Amino acid sequence: MNQLSNEKGHQRAKIGSFLALIKKKKKATVGAVIVATFLLTAIIIAATNLLGIQVTPYGALQQNTGPPLSPPSFSHIFGTDLVGRDVFSRIIAATPNDVSVGISVVAVAFVLGILIGSIAAFKGGLFDELLMRFTDVIFALPALVIAMVIAVALGPGVLNMMIALMIIWWPPYARLARGEALKIFHQNYIEAARISGMQNWKIIVTHVVQNIIGTMLVYATLDIGTVILMYAGLSYLGLSVRPPYPDWGEMVSSFKDYIITAPWLPLAPGFVIATNVIGFCLLGDGVRDALEER
Amino acid sequence: MKMVSFVLRRLCFSVAVLFSVVTITFILSHHLGGNIVAAWLGKTASLHPELATLYAVKYHLNDPIWVQFYYYIVGLLQGDFGYSPSRGFLPVLTVIGETLPFTLQIVLIGFIISMGLGVFLGMISARYRNTPIDGGIQAFYLAGYSSPPFFMALILLIVFANIFKLLPSGGAFDPNLAMPTPIIGIPLLDSLIEGNWAFFISALEHVLLPAAALALVTFGVVTRLLRSSLLEVMRANYIRTARAKGLDEDIVFYKHALRNALIPIVSLSSIILTWLITSTIFVENVFAYPGIGQYLVTALFDQDYPGILATAIVFATVIVLGNLVVDLLYAVVDPQIRLG
Repeated sequence: MNQLSNEKGHQRAKIGSFLALIKKKKKATVGAVIVATFLLTAIIIAATNLLGIQVTPYGALQQNTGPPLSPPSFSHIFGTDLVGRDVFSRIIAATPNDVSVGISVVAVAFVLGILIGSIAAFKGGLFDELLMRFTDVIFALPALVIAMVIAVALGPGVLNMMIALMIIWWPPYARLARGEALKIFHQNYIEAARISGMQNWKIIVTHVVQNIIGTMLVYATLDIGTVILMYAGLSYLGLSVRPPYPDWGEMVSSFKDYIITAPWLPLAPGFVIATNVIGFCLLGDGVRDALEER
Repeated sequence: MKMVSFVLRRLCFSVAVLFSVVTITFILSHHLGGNIVAAWLGKTASLHPELATLYAVKYHLNDPIWVQFYYYIVGLLQGDFGYSPSRGFLPVLTVIGETLPFTLQIVLIGFIISMGLGVFLGMISARYRNTPIDGGIQAFYLAGYSSPPFFMALILLIVFANIFKLLPSGGAFDPNLAMPTPIIGIPLLDSLIEGNWAFFISALEHVLLPAAALALVTFGVVTRLLRSSLLEVMRANYIRTARAKGLDEDIVFYKHALRNALIPIVSLSSIILTWLITSTIFVENVFAYPGIGQYLVTALFDQDYPGILATAIVFATVIVLGNLVVDLLYAVVDPQIRLG
C-alpha cells in the first residue's frame, strides 16, 4: 500500500519534471527565435546597406511615402511620421544599432572581466586587493549617470555610446571571473600545470577561461538585454544617432508628443525594444537551465 | 565592536566612491577643452561678456585642471556647487533644493510599490508554482523588466491619463495650490504632517503614475528572487520538521518559510533602489515631473557643467547612502552574516 502510493508519487514527480523541462525548453526556444530574428535582421540590414540595396519596404530616410501621420495599415504597418516616412522601415533600419551595441559592449566587458578577474585572482595579495577595490568603486558608480557624462564628453553617436558603456560595464564580470577563478586555483590540476612549468597566461587561457566561461555566458546573455535597455535610454535622451537617422530610443522620444493623436507612433519602437530584451532574457534563462541540467 | 569597524569600513568605502564620482565627472566635463567658458555659459556667453570673465575668475579657469579641481572640492565642502546656466544662473544648491524633494517622493513611493508588488507576486508565484498563475506572473514580470522605463511611463500615461483620464498627465502638484512648509523636506509627507489635505491629494495623484512606472520596471527582480529563494527554503529540513509536526501548509509557508526567504530580498533592495533612481531620469522626462532627473537632462543639453557635476554627485550620494543603509540592515536582519 505504502509502496504503491510512493511509486505513484514518484511517477507524478517524473511527469512533473518532464512537463517542467518542456516548459523550460519552450521558453528558451521562444527566446532563441526572437534573438535570431533580430540578429538576422541586423546582419541583413548591415550587409545590404554596404551593398546599397534596399530591403525595407520604403527607404529609412524616404519622405512622403504616404500621408503624414497615417495610422497603421497594410502598406504602412506602424503608420507614418510627420514627414510621411514609413515607421516600420525606420524601425527595421535601426536594428543594427541596438543589436551591435548590446553584443559588443557585453563582449568587451566579458573579455576585460576575465582578464582583470583572473589576473587579480592569480597574482593575489596587495595587487588583487587594489584591483578589486578599484572594481568595487567603478561598480558602485551610478552607471547611467556616468555613461551620460561620458557620452556628453565624447559627443553623440552610436560608437561613442558604445565606448561610454564599455568603460563602465566590466566590473560585475571581473568579480564573477575572480570568484570562479579562485575556486579553480586551489585545485590540484592547476598546481600540477604550474609545477610542470606552464606559463601563467597559458594556464589562464587554457584552464581558467574554459572553466569559468559557462557561468559567465549565462550572465552575459541576460546582460545583453540590460545593455540594450541602457543604450535605448541614452538614445532616448538624444545622445546617439543624429536626425534624420533612425534609432529606437530616439524614435520613442521624438514621437512622445503624438500620444494623443497617434499613440502607435511612440508605442511601436518601444514595443520593439521590449521584445528584443525579452528575447535575450528568455535565451539567457534557457542557457542557464541547460547548464544546470548538465 | 565588530559592528563599529564594519560601519567605519563601509563609510570609508562610500566616501571613496563619492570622491571617484566627483573626480571622474569633473575630468570628463573638462575634457572638452577649447573655450570652456563658452561651453559653461552656452548661449549667454556672447550676450554677457562680463559673465565670462566672472566665470573665469570664479572657477579659476586660467589655472591648470588640478588647481581647478582643488578649488571645486574646497567649494563643495563649503556647500558651494557654483551657479547653473541652464536655470538662469541660480545657485546649483538652490535648484537641487527645489528638485530633489520631488524626485525623492516618486522614488520613495515607487520603492514601496515595487517591493510590495514584488514580494506579493513572488509569494503567490512560489505558493502556486508550475500552475497557470505562476506562468502568468512570470510573463508579467518578464514584460515589466524588459521594458525601457520611458516606454512603461508612456503606456501608463496613454492608458490612465489620456484614455481613462483617471490621473493627471504631468507636473508634480496642482499649481493653484501653495507648497507646504518644508518639515522633512518631502512635500508629500510635509503636507500630510501639516494636515494640508488638498495639497496632499494633488501631490499623491501626480506621484502615482511616475511611481507606478518605476515600480513596474523593477518589481520583477524581487518576484524572481523571492520565488526561487522560497522554493529553496521549502526544501530545508526545518520546513520538513514543521510539516511533520502536522502544521497547516499555509502556516508553514507564510510563517516559517517566508521569513527566511525574505533575507536575500533585503540585499537586493539596494539594487532596486539604484535602478529606481536612475530610471527616474526617463520617467520624469515623460511626465514632465520637476525632479532632479529633469534638471540633469536640461543641464546635459545646455552644457551646464556645474549642474551636471552636482546632479551626478547627488545621484551618487543617494545611491551610496541607500546601499549603506541596506548593508547595515542586512547585517542586522541576518545574524549569520560575517562582518568581514
